[in-house]
Amino acid sequence: MTVGYGHGPVLDRVSLRVDRGEFVALVGPNGSGKSTLLRVLLGLLAPESGEATLLGERPGHLTNPGRLGYVPQRARFAPDLPATVSEVVATGRLARHGWWRRPRDEDREAVLHAINAVDLGEFKDRRVGELSGGQQQRVMIAKALSSDPELLVLDEPVAGVDAESQRQFRDSVVHLIEQHNGAVLLVSHELGAVADDLDRVVVLKQQVVFDGPPAELRSRGVSLGVHAEDLPLWLEGLD
Amino acid sequence: MLPLPWPFDRDYMQYALLAGLVVGACAPLVGGFLVQRRMSLLGDGIGHVAFAGVAAGLLLNIWPVWTALIAAVIAALGIEWLRARGQTSGDLALALFFYGGIAAGAVIASRASAIGRPANVLPFLFGSILTVTRGDAIAVCVIGVAIVATVLIAGRAMLAVVMDEESARVAGLPVNALSCALAVLTAVTVVAAMRVVGLLLVAALLVLPIATARLLAKSFRGTLIFGSVVGVIAVILGLAAARLWGLAPGGSIVLVAVLAFAVVSAVRPIRSAPTSAHDH
Repeated sequence: MTVGYGHGPVLDRVSLRVDRGEFVALVGPNGSGKSTLLRVLLGLLAPESGEATLLGERPGHLTNPGRLGYVPQRARFAPDLPATVSEVVATGRLARHGWWRRPRDEDREAVLHAINAVDLGEFKDRRVGELSGGQQQRVMIAKALSSDPELLVLDEPVAGVDAESQRQFRDSVVHLIEQHNGAVLLVSHELGAVADDLDRVVVLKQQVVFDGPPAELRSRGVSLGVHAEDLPLWLEGLD
Repeated sequence: MLPLPWPFDRDYMQYALLAGLVVGACAPLVGGFLVQRRMSLLGDGIGHVAFAGVAAGLLLNIWPVWTALIAAVIAALGIEWLRARGQTSGDLALALFFYGGIAAGAVIASRASAIGRPANVLPFLFGSILTVTRGDAIAVCVIGVAIVATVLIAGRAMLAVVMDEESARVAGLPVNALSCALAVLTAVTVVAAMRVVGLLLVAALLVLPIATARLLAKSFRGTLIFGSVVGVIAVILGLAAARLWGLAPGGSIVLVAVLAFAVVSAVRPIRSAPTSAHDH
């Protein structure tokens, strides 16, 4: 597909596919079109040409929106938000059981399961604004997981969060893939925490300039794990 | 007439109490979402446009509550439309309606006076709860039931929308419809509260009980419940004070709500701020 905002294409004939059970990282320098690609995928923007298909349906028009989980970029809660972790995560479940319906036992169980999956069980009745940045990010991931998504889309989920939260993030994503055969599309510059779990890395700069396993990227001298700064430096140097 | 003790032993005080209790309990249910959306003054903006509606009713010789309701709903949807389009920030959209409404109200009221129609707008600006009739009280109760039913059905989705609109949209929630529903609920609440505290103070019943409740509750549900309790207490004490000392009921109710916030702020335990103390 080709996508733009009326001033030339931001994405030029990009073709990309993510299959069930795959863990794919989408990386690229600033302005490479990652956010635009996500907006198309989420149904917030239409391509100029070509088409996007999400779980076999048109983005933004899923018969069951709970099949898609989304964690937005730099998600932080207002410090004075008077809502508990459970209440926030439960709003993610609305996509699955219908926003007008009262939650049933299975919905409450799914919410609790999602909270435990990110290891925040002891904080479930705590105000979200009282949690650290990393914990808040895990709340957002739990919210996305609570609808039992088949595809989880995460936009820079670990930017600036602590090591423990990165480890928890990695565990919850792997749990989704291994236990529920879900797919994960991760947009991030920081792939260190999940470097060993990724199936593919897609490098975007208006077009797909690389699409392959992490090992192939490593063979080009770009480290995702030990030297975590290598990837951002390499991306900025792309022609 | 119910055998209630003084100061609620008279018919007019019982109607005032009933209307006041419904508004006091229900306005914070709407205000909780407005505060979270950083639109605490939406009620004020709508109230000022409702003032133009009241003046239009006086000019056209129509029951002013109807014209106020029409003006309030149009204003609420207009503000929401401007905010959602992103052409103006929420507070600028409010300011447009705020000043436009009060100016239109002044002009229309002056025109009504000029052609010999009585345009006494003070009861609408500052409330006239002691003149609430049985019919008024029933209308306020119907509005109250509608507010409670809407919050019970759509409250969870509204919370999702006011927390993060984009994520709510991705999750398939009808964000535009829910935002419009919240705006219309606010407009209806403003018109219901118009008789209780007046258009100039109407936002106080939407916001002040919630401001107090946020200091006490840790959950959103608890905030709405505490807010309703504070609203009800403000109405009871405000009306009693008004009867006891011959004060303006609307102002008395709002001052009790202000006092409640001040007292709770002073005595509540300091809530822990986000720190690395429980970082994981």
